[in-house]
This record gives sequence, C-alpha cells and structure tokens, in this order.
Amino acid sequence: MKKQFSVDPNLCTGCRTCELACSFTHTVDGKAGRPRIYATPGGFEDLWVPVTCLQCDDAACVKSCLVDALKRNPETGAIELNEAVCVKCMACVAACPFGCALVDPEQDKVIKCDLCGGDPACARFCPTKALTYKPSELKASKIKVLG
Amino acid sequence: MVRLTINGRVVQAEKGEMLLVVMNREKISVPAICNHGAVEAFGACRLCTVEITKNDWNGWKNYVTSCLYPVEDGLIVSTHSETVINLRKTLLDLHLARHPHSEHVRQWAMEYGITQTSFEEIPDGDDCILCALCTRICDRMGFAAISTVGRGHGKEVAPPLNEPPPDCTGCLACAQCCPTEFITFSDSGTSREIWGKQFEMITCKECSKPILTKDFAETLSKTRNIPADYFEVCDECHRKATALTMGKISQWQREDTAS
Amino acid sequence: MVIEPRGTLYPRVKVKDVEKIIESSIVNDEPEKTLLYSPNGNSSSVEKYKNIPFYAKQQRIALRNLGMIDQYRIEDYIATGGYQGLAKALTDMTPETIVDEVKQSGLRGRGGAGFSAGRKWATCASAEETPHYVICNGDEGDPGAFMDRSIMEGDPHSVLEGMIICARAVNSHEGYIYVREEYPLAIMNLQLAIEQATSYGLLGDNILGTGFSFTLKVSKGGGAFVCGESSALMRSVGGDVGEPRAKYVRSVLKGLHDKPTVLNNVESFANIPPIIVNGGKWFASIGTEKSTGTKAFSLVGKVRNTGLIEVPMGTTLREIIYDIGGGIQDDRPFKAVQTGGPSGGCLPKEKLDLPVDFDSLTEADSMMGSGGMIVMDDQTCVVDLAKYFLKFLVEESCGKCTPCREGLYQLHSLVDKMSDGRAVESDLVLAENLSKSIMIGSLCGLGKSGPNPFISTLKYFREEYIAHIRDKKCPAKVCPSLISYEIIEGPCDGCMACAPACAVKAITGEKGKLHVIDQNICDRCGACKAICTRQAIEIH
Repeated sequence: MKKQFSVDPNLCTGCRTCELACSFTHTVDGKAGRPRIYATPGGFEDLWVPVTCLQCDDAACVKSCLVDALKRNPETGAIELNEAVCVKCMACVAACPFGCALVDPEQDKVIKCDLCGGDPACARFCPTKALTYKPSELKASKIKVLG
Repeated sequence: MVRLTINGRVVQAEKGEMLLVVMNREKISVPAICNHGAVEAFGACRLCTVEITKNDWNGWKNYVTSCLYPVEDGLIVSTHSETVINLRKTLLDLHLARHPHSEHVRQWAMEYGITQTSFEEIPDGDDCILCALCTRICDRMGFAAISTVGRGHGKEVAPPLNEPPPDCTGCLACAQCCPTEFITFSDSGTSREIWGKQFEMITCKECSKPILTKDFAETLSKTRNIPADYFEVCDECHRKATALTMGKISQWQREDTAS
Repeated sequence: MVIEPRGTLYPRVKVKDVEKIIESSIVNDEPEKTLLYSPNGNSSSVEKYKNIPFYAKQQRIALRNLGMIDQYRIEDYIATGGYQGLAKALTDMTPETIVDEVKQSGLRGRGGAGFSAGRKWATCASAEETPHYVICNGDEGDPGAFMDRSIMEGDPHSVLEGMIICARAVNSHEGYIYVREEYPLAIMNLQLAIEQATSYGLLGDNILGTGFSFTLKVSKGGGAFVCGESSALMRSVGGDVGEPRAKYVRSVLKGLHDKPTVLNNVESFANIPPIIVNGGKWFASIGTEKSTGTKAFSLVGKVRNTGLIEVPMGTTLREIIYDIGGGIQDDRPFKAVQTGGPSGGCLPKEKLDLPVDFDSLTEADSMMGSGGMIVMDDQTCVVDLAKYFLKFLVEESCGKCTPCREGLYQLHSLVDKMSDGRAVESDLVLAENLSKSIMIGSLCGLGKSGPNPFISTLKYFREEYIAHIRDKKCPAKVCPSLISYEIIEGPCDGCMACAPACAVKAITGEKGKLHVIDQNICDRCGACKAICTRQAIEIH
C-alpha cells in the first residue's frame, strides 16, 4: 500500500532530531551529509515547521533539470536525484519554490529528500510524531459525499 | 538476462547493458574519467579498457572499453590483467607528460604507482585532458556553446572563434563536471564570468545571495515553463517562507481547536 | 601512346613524331621502329605494349578502362561493355543471386581490412531496419596512393555501376560517394557521370524501366585522413565532425544515421560490374584461394617504372618491383618496400618472394592497406622513414582518444630522438612498450595501426636503430645529426661551385685549391654534394 509522509507542525518542538537523523543517514565516506530537512521557525511562539521536500506532482525541480537527473521513484513516490547524472548546474536548487533542493558543500553535490528509499529516518526518529510515514489514510471508499 | 564472469565472479546483467554499468553496480572499480551519467559513453580516455574472452575463443583475447561494450552471455572479463594494467599505466604516464601541473592527473597516476613520467614533459601542457565532458554536457543541456577545435595533439576545447560564446548561459555545468578543474570561472556576487563572457546574476530579493545567471533563468522559464518569480528567492529564504506559510496554517488550526 | 588493335606502344611521343607514326602505324599498319620502346637503352626494341614486362605481368580489372575510353562520355563506357552488369543484375538476377555471385567471387574489400564484400552485402540485405544505405569510400588519404583517384577520374561510371548493383542487392535507394575535396577532378567527373547516368535512366527513379530506384550524391570531405575510417566517414557524411565512434556494433548494421550501411571503397565497387558480367567463378579463378582477383597498387619510390599497376593477387613483391617496376633506379641495392600506407609496414629483401595478398602481408607484419607501395633503396634510412610516417599520423590523429593523440606524439618524439642521436637504449624499450599500449588501447584503426611504421621497421632493421642509438651513426647516411659532409683531397679541384651553393656559408677555399667544410656551421642540407660534379664530397 502507498505510504504518505506527513508533517504536523503543531507537534514539532524544534528539537532538530530530524536534521540529525537525516544528516547521519546520508553519510558518505565518513562525512555526514547536509540535512534535507530543517526545523524552521513558523512565525509564532513555539511554532516550528520541519521544512522538507513535498515530492510535488508537477515538480519544478524535475522540469528544470536539462539532463533528466531527477526522476520519481514509483515505489516510494520520492523524486530522486541521480548523482551520476547530475551536472550541478543548480537549476533545481533555484527552481524549487520551497527551497528543498540544496547544495551539500562538504560532499560537493546537489541533494534533496529521497525518503531514505522508503523508510525516512526523520520520521523514524521524530520523538513527537510530528513527522510520520505511514499508509495513506485517504482512501476512496472512506470519502463520503455530504448533503 | 545474461550471465558473465567478471574477475572470476559470476554476474547477471540485463541484455544491452554496458559492461561498465554492470561493473559499477557490482562495485568493481576501474578508472573512467571521460564517463558521466548525463551523456552517452564516449570511449576517449580508454582507462576503463578491460580484457575479454570467451570459452570458445580458443584463448584469443580482446581489449575493449567497458563503457561501450554491451554485455554478452558467457563473456569472461578481467579488469586488472597484466596487459590492462600496463595499458592504464602507459595512459596515465602519457597524461602526466602532457599535464604535468595537474594535481588530479598526479593523483590518478599515483594510484597506479606512477609518480614521474617516462616521457618528455610537454612544457606548456595545460590541465585539459580532452575528455570532452564539457562539450558533450553542454550539447546535452541543449546549448552547444563550446566544442572541441582542431585535431590531434593541438586539439582544444573552445567557444566558436575563441570569442565569448553567444549560446552560453553561464550555468557552469562544464566547469562543475571538468575532471581536472581546468575550466575556470569567477563569481563576484552580482556577476559571473566564464569563457570570456560576462553574466548578470539574479540575487535573492530577501538576502541578496546570488542564485543563478539571468540568462540561465530566462532559458529555464522559457523552455521549461518555470515561473520567473521562482528564481527571485534563494533556497534558504524559500524554506523560511515555506515555514511561515505552514506556520500560519498551523496557527489557524491551533486557534480553531482552542476556540 | 598505344595504337590499337595492334597494340603498338610509342613512349614519350613528341609533336615531331606524329607525322611518322601516322604514316607507318596508321597508313601502312607497320610500326615505326625508330620510335618504339627499348628497355634500359637496349638496342632490341619491343613493339607491343603487352610484351613489355611492365604490362605483361599486369591484369587489369578495376583499372580496365583507364586510358582506353573518354571518361567524359558515358557512350564510351557503354561501348566497352559498361552497364551490361547492371542490366543483367536488374533483369536476370534477384538481390539474393547478386549477393551469391559476389560471395562466390571471393571479393574482399579493397580499402584495407579485406572483409568479404559478399558477406557484408548479405548482412546489410537481411538487416530488418530501413532504410539501407550504400556508401563508396573515395577518401583515399595515404601519401603516394592514387588508385582510387585514377578510377574516379578516369572511369567514374564503373564506380557508379558497382554501386547501383550493390544498391539493388541490399535494397537501398540512397547512396553517397565520399570524396576528399583535394580531388576536385574526381568530384567533377563523378558528378558529370551521375548526371549522364541519370539522363540515360541508369540512376534515379525506375532504373531501366525495372521499377528499381536509386539516387546517388557526391559527399565532399575536408580531407582529414581519419575520415577514411568507416565510422568517422559516416559521421562526416551525416554532417557531424569526422571523428571515429567507438563501436562494438558493426557499421553494416548501424552505419549512416545508425541505419544498415554497405561501405566499400572505389576499387571494390569498380570490380563489381565485371564480376556480374563474367560470374563470380571467373573472378575467383584469378589470384589466390583466399585473396581472389587482382589488386591495384600505386608503385612509387626508387623503382625505374613508377605508376599505377594492377596484378593478380599472389604476385610476388619481386615480380612487382623487378619485372613491372623494372628494378631499382641506378641499380642500387633494394632495401625495403613499404606497403599499406602510413600505418602499413616495411618488408626487407628477405621478404621479396612473399606473395602479395591480404593474409601473407598481415602475417609478415605489414598490410595490404589501400595499395600504396613505396620502394626504397639503400639510401633510405628506416629510422628517418618511421619518423616521417609517424609525423604524418600525429598530424592526422583526430585527437579524440588518449593513446593515439598523446601516444603517437610521444612515439614520434622518441623516434625523433633516435634519429637525432639523443636517444639511449632504454628509449627503445620505452617506445616498444608504448607501441603495444597504443595498439591495444586506441579507439580506431588509425591509432591501432599507428605504431606500425616503427614496429615493422624495428622488426626487420633493429640493428639500424641500435646504430643510431648506441653508435650515433646513420648507416644510410640520411639523418642529418649523425652525418657529416666532407670534401676529399684529390677529386676536389677547387672549382668553387660548392661554396656559393651553401646557404649557411660553411664552405671556404680558393680557386684551384681544396675546399673545406666547417662542421660547426654546416647544416647538412646536401646542396654542396648535389652541385659537385667531381664527386669530391662524401658523407661520413
């Protein structure tokens, strides 16, 4: 069954465990990766928003890529960036209106959330369940037409 | 599905796959400096050459570039036979003579135990190894702003007529992918220069950080249908704005639940 | 001049001779004895050209019409049996039987590799992808080779006819003749021939009313040597830069525009019409078992008779050089013959009895190539020769792959060092190892065979390399850094001819007295030796 990644800012405490989990999950050659998720102030007291890729349907990053390095993984639904194909032109970094394609200067590459291949570490480690990855609750049979 | 043997290990692969792709997947490493996932295999550096044979070839062996050789059933591949190693050493030795000042070339040669070239050093040897990744990637991006010029030992990469290339948008893909970092550019915050051409940068309207060149943004808007205002804010400021938007929604929810 | 039908040959005819020739040969049908050919200044003259060794040992199939017909007139070509093969192929034969006939003839590609033309055609004919193309490689680029040029200029219709027959056999409707721009006359004559053939209904739509259509275009190349390589040629025809493509898929399946393509050279196509007319069996009866038919060579260098020749495969080098070529100029000793163009090989006198065919030449570490044959006497230095050909290849390398671009460059500079007396013995080992890597590592045939000039001369003349390296001597007295010109007492009578001839003013001496060359100034150009009529200048 398709799973869905959801964010509930009301549960987020800004502890940044998600950032750490993401960073360590993307370690290459002993170098921790730059997080693909950021607990960011939401503009109100005690309100934090974990900002990460929404895996848009008609994604600007995919459209902007001139070498087809960004493709959706049909299994996870994540838009994955193929590092071997990426030419680092920064088109996607500039095009994403949510700022969720970014540069990892340490590992010298363009990065974005890949849902950890189907088991996102941020959700797994989120202590408050502000981040979840579970079977989609939106089922056609449950939608009732009112009135 | 085909079955082949690489360095004594039996490996499965899809029909039509190139040997190098299979080797990469199997974590069998050979140098391949003119290879890049964005463009078709080219076969210029020859470093990925491997020895192949088959049981019914009566001991005959062939040497092929793995980047361009489609896998076959029953193929027996040796990636580090003596002849292949010697070839790679000679190639790196030749590179060392031609590009004596390149740290990258030095590094590659060192991995095969070569620290000093056996040949005559080319005194004015630059760092361009003529892998043509830059020109091929530029073609792939749809710009074709630069190309190789001339032939033989005097071949070089250059924009047309050695003038600032009219079709270049300053995306820097060529420089980013250059394996020896030979292609240089300069960024000043508001402007960029590459291949002798000046570009105006779009800077973030929130924090003034440079984002990308105006030319590149215009091309992307035009050819890829991306709203021009997407390019007006940098990724970090975009994330901040996203947080504020989602924050507002959450705050409504909070207020909703409270009331 | 040859007067047919007697076949009387008059060499070097001058205007004043014409009257006599007409009087005797044409009016009286008697040869004019005083103007006949006499070999080596011998008193006994030979009347008929067929009895002269230069012609007697030749058999002309590909070159059959050269000099016999007016190349500008299609009527001449037709009058000598031209387009008979095409008519037969289109009316009496099916594509399959054409391919079978060519297979049976045993014709191997005359461009160099010697791949069976029949098998190539069969592969293309049975390829499912369409369209199919037919391309003629007229990019003859070997220095000193002019076989294909002569055919294209002197008998263009034979190439056209061969190509149309091929097109019919492989079901192609579009063909190209790729000619280098340095051959303007060939291009012009081919274009004229295409126009004529089209107006005669031999090309274009509905050829000879059979419903078969085929169009031909001349594609002009920029004259890059590497464009003779099949994949580079097809890229060039297709409008791309003429660089070879690494291919492990044969061009007969993925050639021009990645479609099935038959690529043969000019001479191969010129052989097709006689094969169709006389049958594959006839062709296979000429030559050797595995190399059938004849082969054209451009025989050049230090032989008495130079020029275009065509001999049955299997003719020995000795027959070619001594009977047809008339031996070495000035009766000097034969040293070597270079076959196969720049990337071919050198064969020494021990190999003079080698039959000339694809396999024998390859076995002897040389190659057929497109058919250049350069004869050398003892005044040729093999190190200098290897240097010359390597230089050519360095300049003609397209520069795409590292072993060819950098490797040949370094190999040339190593051989240059040897010829210059700066080399040490380890350089020879280095050059040998480098050659091996270039040969297995290069992308296309140019690089793979690039070290041949060095490897083959080293194989047969190693001692000459050692002399250059260890003894700093050039036995052939050619390499400028290793020789000195000296004026010897006795013959020199102080005529003062040499001193003004010296461009660097290295010669001093007074009239009537022995002249002296200052070795520190002399640049060993040889001008003094050339001008000295007293044989007083020697090379040491």
